[in-house]
Amino acid sequence: MTRTGRKSWRQWTPAVVAAGAVGAAALVAPFSANAAVDLPDKTAAEVLALVQEKDADAFYGTVEQSSNLGLPDLSALGGAAGGMSPGGSGTTGGTTNDDGGEPSPASAALELITGSHTAQVFVNGPHQARLQVLDPLEERNVIRNGDDLWYYNSDENEAFHATLEDHEKPDGATSAPNDVAAHFLEKIDPSTEVTVGSDRMVAGRAVYDLVLTPRSTETLVSSVRIAVDGETGLPLGVTVAAAGSTDPAFSSTFTEINYEEPSAELFAFTPPEGAAVTEVDPGDHKAEHQREHQREHTDKEAAEKPTVVGEGWDAVVVVPAGQQEIPAELMQLSTAVDGGQLLSTALVNVLITDDGRILAGSVTVERLQAVASGQ
Amino acid sequence: MSSSTAVSAPRKSAGGRFLASELSVLFRRRRTWALLAALAAIPVLIAVAVRLSSGPSPGRGPAFLDQVSQNGLFVAVVATIVAIPLFLPLTVGVVAGDTVAGEASTGTLRYLLMSPVARGRLLAVKYVGAVVFCLAATFTVAIVGTLMGALLFPTGPVTLLSGTSIGVPEALLRIALVCLYVTLSLLGLCAVGLFMSTLTDVPVGAMAATVVASVVSQVVGQLPQLEWIHPWLLTQYWLGFADLLRDPIVWDSFAANALLQAGYVVVFGALAYGRFSTKDVLA
Repeated sequence: MTRTGRKSWRQWTPAVVAAGAVGAAALVAPFSANAAVDLPDKTAAEVLALVQEKDADAFYGTVEQSSNLGLPDLSALGGAAGGMSPGGSGTTGGTTNDDGGEPSPASAALELITGSHTAQVFVNGPHQARLQVLDPLEERNVIRNGDDLWYYNSDENEAFHATLEDHEKPDGATSAPNDVAAHFLEKIDPSTEVTVGSDRMVAGRAVYDLVLTPRSTETLVSSVRIAVDGETGLPLGVTVAAAGSTDPAFSSTFTEINYEEPSAELFAFTPPEGAAVTEVDPGDHKAEHQREHQREHTDKEAAEKPTVVGEGWDAVVVVPAGQQEIPAELMQLSTAVDGGQLLSTALVNVLITDDGRILAGSVTVERLQAVASGQ
Repeated sequence: MSSSTAVSAPRKSAGGRFLASELSVLFRRRRTWALLAALAAIPVLIAVAVRLSSGPSPGRGPAFLDQVSQNGLFVAVVATIVAIPLFLPLTVGVVAGDTVAGEASTGTLRYLLMSPVARGRLLAVKYVGAVVFCLAATFTVAIVGTLMGALLFPTGPVTLLSGTSIGVPEALLRIALVCLYVTLSLLGLCAVGLFMSTLTDVPVGAMAATVVASVVSQVVGQLPQLEWIHPWLLTQYWLGFADLLRDPIVWDSFAANALLQAGYVVVFGALAYGRFSTKDVLA
């Protein structure tokens, strides 16, 4: 009896060991990546200087972006590209169940901000860059090569091309960590407290943890953490925390980074055969700007233009009635509050007043209402 | 030491012979060929349907379907995408679920165990047989797809997801890589099937349980409420082969998939061993 008892125990040993080993490996792996790091101590100002003098002209890597804004999955609502999760549906399989309708640019942009994405970033100097958004079974590409700016969408097999003038920076920066970090670093002013947290590891690099804390109490942002590569000064990760929440509301972080020059072929884009190519003239934008400028001068009605009330973290953008449309799928999510409809997310509140004005800002509802009634 | 190598050498060749006989039995069965024929029907159906219709508009149907009429090589990719969620797991479930339970139900398991083969080795041979079937199944879909595509449509340079065009030889290489990726994706399911097969003497039960495991895993993968469990799902990276169709190739999903499947093979292989090593073979 004892013999068979021991034997029946022994037969399961491999199973127990295997399950234990797999479980232990899964538990230990994330910790070993976070092994203690110790960089030479630097003050916040020194870290900021490190970012300014960043010594990384060429690099490439993988970026993971995730946001938890308290909005439902808009990709499902808008039918925008990349809405399908990689698991595949149970029966029909890897079909993208688009209803054939074109996603509106607004909902596509929203999808890019709200969803989780993996992207590859290739940068070579200030004039060559490529961003590949790795959607399941699809891919979106933004490629800049000197004065040529390309956008390619594999799902629709369509390409857009624009010629930039005088190496100007294209509109709409990417959501790669270095670009997002630049956006926040521009905002540093006396209303921001800048400190350096404890060193950590990001993408296998020792980084300084630059923490921006708004001094204002009316903003929804509780802190912005920027991981600055201790050697090169390149921002490798940005995490934005919302007030009253422990989970980051937005994060964009390199999971892999390589400071080598990416292959030149990556920036030389020629649209594939059969792709629909649309030529976009950035000059149009400019002409429009100028016309608007003139109109503003002649009409002397500044109220027609969006205005910004407040400074720094408390800034509220006020769009006059009839200037901007809110996508219908977003309006479904709004709730009625005093003085209008409120679209509330973890980081941004948007108030659509009863008289049609739109007020938006990374601030509390009360501040939006105060600005709305104060005008 | 020297004596042990002397002993292991003939044993090894016995194992090799055992595997050869297992494979020849597997591929001489009419059922195996019926399964492969059913899989081959997928690309044939897709190619003929696209040829006879005016061609779907972009963004409808399985990914890449709209490209088939311009480039026949995409038949292989579309057929693989269609086969992954249900048809491949179904056929693999039939073969893997049958490994031990099939022998038990026909009463041949007893005779197998009479030969000087350890039970662990028998399991390993059965598992390798099922894996070879996976390889045959995925390549059947891709090769029939490529042939049908070449027959009915023009072939030429292939546009990758990144917008880069590659020549036909490299495209064929990428399709072969996709097949290897899909085979890799099925290794875990094979191990689950092997374990199920040791639990019962009724092969149909083991087959059904294996297929159900893959379907349940995919359903759970669709539920955002269970997001925490997603990285552990057998089917998590099944459609990740798209990363092989990018430029440059993104190998991350290949590596993550290999690690995940290895975990399943180790755990369910050990469970199958635990069950089978002391199983009373009555039939």
